[in-house]
Amino acid sequence: MASEVNTGFLNDKKLDSIAADILRPVGITQGFIVWMGFLGISLLACIYAYYLQWDKGLIVTGLRDYTSWGMYIANFVFFVATSLVGMLISSVLGLIGFKWVKPIARIAEIIAVAFAAIAGLVIVSDMGRPERLPYVFLYGRIQSPIIWDVTVVTTYLVISALLYFLPLIPDLAISKGRMGHTPKWLQKTYEVLSVNWIHTPQQYKILLKAVRIMLILIIPTAFAIHTVTSWLFAVTLRPGWDSSIFGPYFLTGAFVAGSAAVVIVMYFVRTNYKLDKYLTLHHFDMMGKLLVLVSIVYLYFNINEYLVPGFKMKTAEAIHLKELFVGDYAMMFWSVQLLGLIIPIILLLFKVFRKPLSMLVISIIMLIAAWFKRFIIVVPTQDHPFLPKQHVPDAWMVYHPTIVESAITIGTIILAVIIITILVKFFPVIPIWEVAEEQHETDSKTKE
Amino acid sequence: MIKRYFSLLLIVLISLRLSAQVWVVPAENELRKSPFAFDDASRKAGSEIYNASCKSCHGEPGKNNPIPLVPPPPDFASVKMQSNSDGALQFKVTAGRGPMPSFKNTLSATDVWRVISYARSFNDKYVQEVSKSSEAGGASVQNVKIQISWLKDKNQVQASLSAMKDKVNQPVAGAEVKLFAKRYFGNLLIDEARTTDALGNALFNFPADLPGDSAGHVQLIARLTNEAIFGEAKADSVLIIGVPTYRPPLNEQRAMWNVVSKTPIWLLLAYTIAVLGAWGFIIYVFLQIRAIFLAGSKKDPDSAE
Ligand code: HEC
Repeated sequence: MASEVNTGFLNDKKLDSIAADILRPVGITQGFIVWMGFLGISLLACIYAYYLQWDKGLIVTGLRDYTSWGMYIANFVFFVATSLVGMLISSVLGLIGFKWVKPIARIAEIIAVAFAAIAGLVIVSDMGRPERLPYVFLYGRIQSPIIWDVTVVTTYLVISALLYFLPLIPDLAISKGRMGHTPKWLQKTYEVLSVNWIHTPQQYKILLKAVRIMLILIIPTAFAIHTVTSWLFAVTLRPGWDSSIFGPYFLTGAFVAGSAAVVIVMYFVRTNYKLDKYLTLHHFDMMGKLLVLVSIVYLYFNINEYLVPGFKMKTAEAIHLKELFVGDYAMMFWSVQLLGLIIPIILLLFKVFRKPLSMLVISIIMLIAAWFKRFIIVVPTQDHPFLPKQHVPDAWMVYHPTIVESAITIGTIILAVIIITILVKFFPVIPIWEVAEEQHETDSKTKE
Repeated sequence: MIKRYFSLLLIVLISLRLSAQVWVVPAENELRKSPFAFDDASRKAGSEIYNASCKSCHGEPGKNNPIPLVPPPPDFASVKMQSNSDGALQFKVTAGRGPMPSFKNTLSATDVWRVISYARSFNDKYVQEVSKSSEAGGASVQNVKIQISWLKDKNQVQASLSAMKDKVNQPVAGAEVKLFAKRYFGNLLIDEARTTDALGNALFNFPADLPGDSAGHVQLIARLTNEAIFGEAKADSVLIIGVPTYRPPLNEQRAMWNVVSKTPIWLLLAYTIAVLGAWGFIIYVFLQIRAIFLAGSKKDPDSAE
């Protein structure tokens, strides 16, 4: 993001066509109603599942004494991980000065907001007595990583929301006069949210400063959020969790999941909204390269995480690793590593696969694998406590997620998709003013 | 050759282990009997002692739920326990062995008999034989009173024994007294057993370095050894004669595992600074949004659009 804005683009004719392109899909359309109806009805079923859990408690899940962190916590880690991409794309790549991230940055921020917001809910889904949630704040201990996690997730959510909202302000102002086709309430919302924006240089100056502060602040916060999430595991002595590289391991894994999510949203925005002029093949190509980069880094951490203890095979560690490599979890483990990392890396090295459709397929598989990867990290460790499992009913020995539990988990994913849909549908999904400014600048440069 | 040597060694070791498992009771102890007949009162007193001092290891009688020690503490209702004679039980509880502590200093002889009386209530076939020498009547000197005092100049503790005789309070001479200091686990014998002089006083040398509580309090217990003659007299008093010792409770200091008010300072600082820092910037940015709003309302909006 430049430190100064050349407001010349405002008088450029191009602004009109760009705004028209990007604002065309905004508003309530038939496709939107059908899609939201589908999501809403599916969500109702999941809410009923949650009602069962609210009524009966966690007994309706597969969670018992030994595996007390199951699907829900795996899902939580997945949500936090996916939300980190906001920081990677708008902040790290943006601050370094990569121009191609500009049209994607808002999509990344939308994913960050949606997933960070629901991550908190996912934690509540793991509580048997959710009405005691305030106790966390009333009686929480600063010494507990759980409190650090709550703190940092909240902070990250606010910063991500600001990073979504701040660059949106000029767009809201630009859009105000061009929204004839949308409902009144939406126009009113734009009016309020655009906070008196009139494109003065002074306003741009304030805005750029605010954005820059948030872009810098989100880096340590994002590092903190996922490192602390990893510490929830790594501060224990349990095989599979007792690892000093868990922080960077989680962080790099997060970028893989998040980048895949961005590609998926990019694809649907591009095809449904006919925005191929803005989300070009070049963008997909670059995202493909980014995916390869983050996947290779994550693969490197995976090799460290599994090879080093696998070489030593300490007693307790060996039981855990055998379970993953050749035991009950071998199918899941190797599928996740192959389908979620190794094969995508190989494919995406070739330009032919860095095309929108093939990248969509690869990204969906990677995102699903990313979810199961969190399951592999969270659950198998608890199957092997240090003390033998004795004197408990058979059903407690091994963790089997129930349908209720799965429905609630799917519900959280639907909620995130609903948030993404609403943000993508009701607000400009591509930063109009940034794209216009960029074009204005390249145009004036070529003219000279 | 080596093989034979090892098998010999093995046999020796095994037989050593076997013999270690038999708890030999001296013949005279084996035959010893309680000086009083077991009755409801003694069983009740015994059950209280059992709950306070034995249950933690031996478990609830009849439930066979001792803690897993090696060798295991036998259940009180078990055949193993009940096949002991009264005297053997009394010897084993008094002497202790391995993980089974000696109760010599902790329980009075009478209290040991009370626990045995309680133990026998789990054995229907048990028929008590009371010691012949004491069957006629209890102690020959009754209602002995013990007073403990501190002789500062001599660094000695004095136990003074007296008893009512012919309606007059008279010193008890020739009685053997033991003095104990109460510690966390059991009683510590101070000096050695002393016999009272003609004035009924027994003097004990008191160590100068015995730790007391934070104010130097030490709880002293004086007890008579020959309960058959003098009855079960006992004195319990607290004197300020120990070295004041302050042991801070483990949860007093700041620690990661302590309550929130005992958070380690470094963590408190790091957390507070991080949270205030991040939220300081966030609030600043909210103020900037306000500034944008104000900057927009100053100018005439029509001219800009
Ligand atoms: C610290 C644990 C512990 C406590 C407290 C304890 N015991 Fe024991 N007791 C043992 C163990 C262990 C043995 C087995 C010792 C052996 O066989 O070497 C044992 C053995 C005995 C025996 C011998 C049984 C036999 O014939 O082998 C008797 C009697 C006995 N305990 C009575 C008592 C009484 C009475 C108390 C309470 C005043 C008591 N114990 C408190 C651990 C304990």
